[in-house]
Amino acid sequence: MPGELERWSISYYIQRQYQKIKLPVEPQRWSGLKNWILKTIAIIAFLVLWEIGPRAGFIDPQFVATPSKIIVTMWGMLLSGDLLVHVYVSLRRALIAFAISAVVAIPLGFLLGGWFTTFEKLLNPLLSILGQVNPFTIFPVIILFFGIGEAAKIIIIFLVAFWPILFNTITGAKNVDPQLVKCARAMNASKPALFVKVILPAAAPYIFNGLRMSSGNSFFMLIGAEMIGASSGLGWLILNSEVNYQIPRLYAGVVTIALLGLAISNLVARLEKRVVVWHEPAN
Amino acid sequence: MVLSVKETSYPVEERRPESDAKIVLKNISRIYQIKRNNGKGSTGFIALQDVNLQVRSGELISIVGPSGCGKSTLLDLIAGLARPNSGEIFIDGRLITGPALDRGIILQGYALFPWRVVIDNVAFGLEIKGVPKKERRAISQKFIDLVGLQGFEDRYPYELSGGMKQRVAIARALAYDPGVLLMDEPFAAVDAQTREVLQDELLQIWEKTGKTIVFVTHSIEEAIYLSDRVAVMTPNPGTIKEVIDIKLPRPRQNSDIRSSAEFGWVRHKVRELLQSGSLEKEHGQQTDQNVAEAISTEATL
Repeated sequence: MPGELERWSISYYIQRQYQKIKLPVEPQRWSGLKNWILKTIAIIAFLVLWEIGPRAGFIDPQFVATPSKIIVTMWGMLLSGDLLVHVYVSLRRALIAFAISAVVAIPLGFLLGGWFTTFEKLLNPLLSILGQVNPFTIFPVIILFFGIGEAAKIIIIFLVAFWPILFNTITGAKNVDPQLVKCARAMNASKPALFVKVILPAAAPYIFNGLRMSSGNSFFMLIGAEMIGASSGLGWLILNSEVNYQIPRLYAGVVTIALLGLAISNLVARLEKRVVVWHEPAN
Repeated sequence: MVLSVKETSYPVEERRPESDAKIVLKNISRIYQIKRNNGKGSTGFIALQDVNLQVRSGELISIVGPSGCGKSTLLDLIAGLARPNSGEIFIDGRLITGPALDRGIILQGYALFPWRVVIDNVAFGLEIKGVPKKERRAISQKFIDLVGLQGFEDRYPYELSGGMKQRVAIARALAYDPGVLLMDEPFAAVDAQTREVLQDELLQIWEKTGKTIVFVTHSIEEAIYLSDRVAVMTPNPGTIKEVIDIKLPRPRQNSDIRSSAEFGWVRHKVRELLQSGSLEKEHGQQTDQNVAEAISTEATL
């Protein structure tokens, strides 16, 4: 009998030793640099071609501004504060709409996926159809109801951000491992404890999936909404530049939007990594 | 002390003094309503019929039987996760009305919370119990040491092997100090070698802690090797056919008891009981097999 525990401590010791052994790897610095070059080579080549094209006359410089020109324009707009105003206005709209849709969709998703499952079954076909409606198409209707003020834009962004969060939360709530629920219930977990300690964390990866999709969608929609009816924001900036034939300014808007989109998806991915620290079991 | 738990209906008092009975099951029946295949109406599936069993304090009793015989259902009833349609279950003389921390449960699929590291998994029951955080850590650490997982406290379940996960599950069930451990085919998912190691470890933990253990398995050998008594169940409807005393000497760990003549004899007897049980049923209600299959997945819920 006593031999047993020792055996285990030996196996444990061996495992520990294994962890200490490191496999020979390439020097970190070189592989890092190499990686970086490999990753950026396409981008650099693209930028170089872009710069040369209009200068050499392959591409009409009236329609395509060179990267250097765009950077200069952006810098100027940044200094004058012109750019930041539009970024602020756009981000505010997107964030408000995104926050509202998360606050509404997550609890609703849990209610439908976790508690009122029969109701969810009834509602699911309708929700699927509604989720497929392209908000752009009903934009005129929304304008009729809410005018072209902030409300209309926030509502239309809400309409695209809402569905991915809702559907993913429903799926997450439905797919909580029944064994985990059983186990927690056997330990006499109360209903609130069951929700906070089991159902919510179990559904978290799904919810984040929804949030990630929504954040992309809502930013995408924002630009569209601002192009249709607005007097500020990045979408408006692009439309206005086109109307006034300020091509570098237009491109400055395009680049800003691309960078912001990248930053937002990065931010959500980071948040996800922080919250969902465990690996999903390979299904 | 051989206990008769067939469908006989002696008055309970006559059977044996209940003084050292930890768990008493009296005339338990459990019926599931399941939808018919043709979609119209529902039919009752008798998962358990008139089951009587007394589990003695501190004993390790196994329940063996083929899948669909209601052994997991029986465990759920003792855990308080489901209610019997008729009959009563007592633990320490108190009627079971729901789950409580006087019973620990260990499931086949480990059921570890993937977002909790080992030590937080072990502490789950203590959290529910309301034990302060510092104490929780100390107690959890004690049980992690007991199952031989020191050094793995801060690992996530995905970083552990099957055997290690099952150890965490055992530590978690032990941590809030229940008098009874309910184990539902706990070692079914691990490989043969690990399984034997875990069996030995379980025996050792059982000897150290003195818990009453109800162990559900479909492996006859496992049941005999571990148990003081083995309850043999037969399906359609689920009943306990016989309870067999296992008089093999203890400790059984690290011994050749599996290849002893007595072990072989008991194994033969259990197998015969199971076979005769299923033969009897086959003559009568062969069609019910599908129903049993259909229910067995839902039964876990």
